[in-house]
Amino acid sequence: MNPADLERLIDRELRKLPAPRAPRSLLPRIMAAASDTAARPWYTRAWLTWPVGWQLASAVVLMGVVAGTAMLLPQIQAAVTTLTFIADARGEVASSARGFETTTTAVRVLWRTIVAPVVPYAFGLITLMCAACAVFGTALNHLVFGKAFR
Amino acid sequence: MTDVERFEAFVRTYQDMVFATAVRLLGNPAEAEDVAQSVFVKAFEQFDTIGSSPAAAGWLRTVARNACLNHLSRYRSRWRFFSELGSSDAETDAPFDVAAPGIAGRALEQADERERLEQALRRLPSHQRVPLVLFHFEEASYEDIARMLGISLAKVKTDIHRGREALRKQLETSGYESR
Repeated sequence: MNPADLERLIDRELRKLPAPRAPRSLLPRIMAAASDTAARPWYTRAWLTWPVGWQLASAVVLMGVVAGTAMLLPQIQAAVTTLTFIADARGEVASSARGFETTTTAVRVLWRTIVAPVVPYAFGLITLMCAACAVFGTALNHLVFGKAFR
Repeated sequence: MTDVERFEAFVRTYQDMVFATAVRLLGNPAEAEDVAQSVFVKAFEQFDTIGSSPAAAGWLRTVARNACLNHLSRYRSRWRFFSELGSSDAETDAPFDVAAPGIAGRALEQADERERLEQALRRLPSHQRVPLVLFHFEEASYEDIARMLGISLAKVKTDIHRGREALRKQLETSGYESR
């Protein structure tokens, strides 16, 4: 049998077939599913099934968001650039502050551990040296120079 | 008449058509019932516009067909693979179960033959049954079928031809006479 005859034969025989009937269980299933769907809030369903007012409102909001984004994009870009610059500057300042803090801490530690314990003795030694110098100078003035320096 | 009653009447009117489309495309009554249910739930969600539309039947048929193809698409890779291997030939050449010829009158015999043909159609492998049903019941062209299934035109023609050959064998086995 050639393909064209075969096509005609099968087409004719298939068209004679009665349409299969839906099982009796289908209708109750569909009605139960429809009842469940009706019980769901409208916003959980497909957008196309939303109330017209909400469809319009959501479309307006969406367009507003898109238009606002398009209009604000240059400003947003500029703001981002500025914020980036400020952040960089803050980073540098923070870095400098950290360096300064490290230095002062090191100085403070050195002072407390090495210099501070010696300072009273050094001060006393310097005072004694100054007093000794004053006594020696006065003695020289009286004995050697005949009170030449007054 | 309340909305619920209107919808119930709507379902009663079209449930056989939707189920027939689904069961012939899927070849499985249980899966066809699931798909039919999902189709009518979609119809329920848009019942304000569809319920009174003269195009409701066409809308339901299209949605049912697309739902079936989506349902099958999860198996389509495997379907293509086996189809390309040619294992389908062995599958389709296997004889269908054939009952003894009826003797309780010509009408009963014809009904029996049709039932066997319907069952033979459902037993075809998906890669033959789906394009065959789309061509003969949904009146889609070869090109449309190739586009819908995402396969080549040559493959559509080959699969449909093999499906027809399998059905012809079934007809001959059950004592088909050209009427």
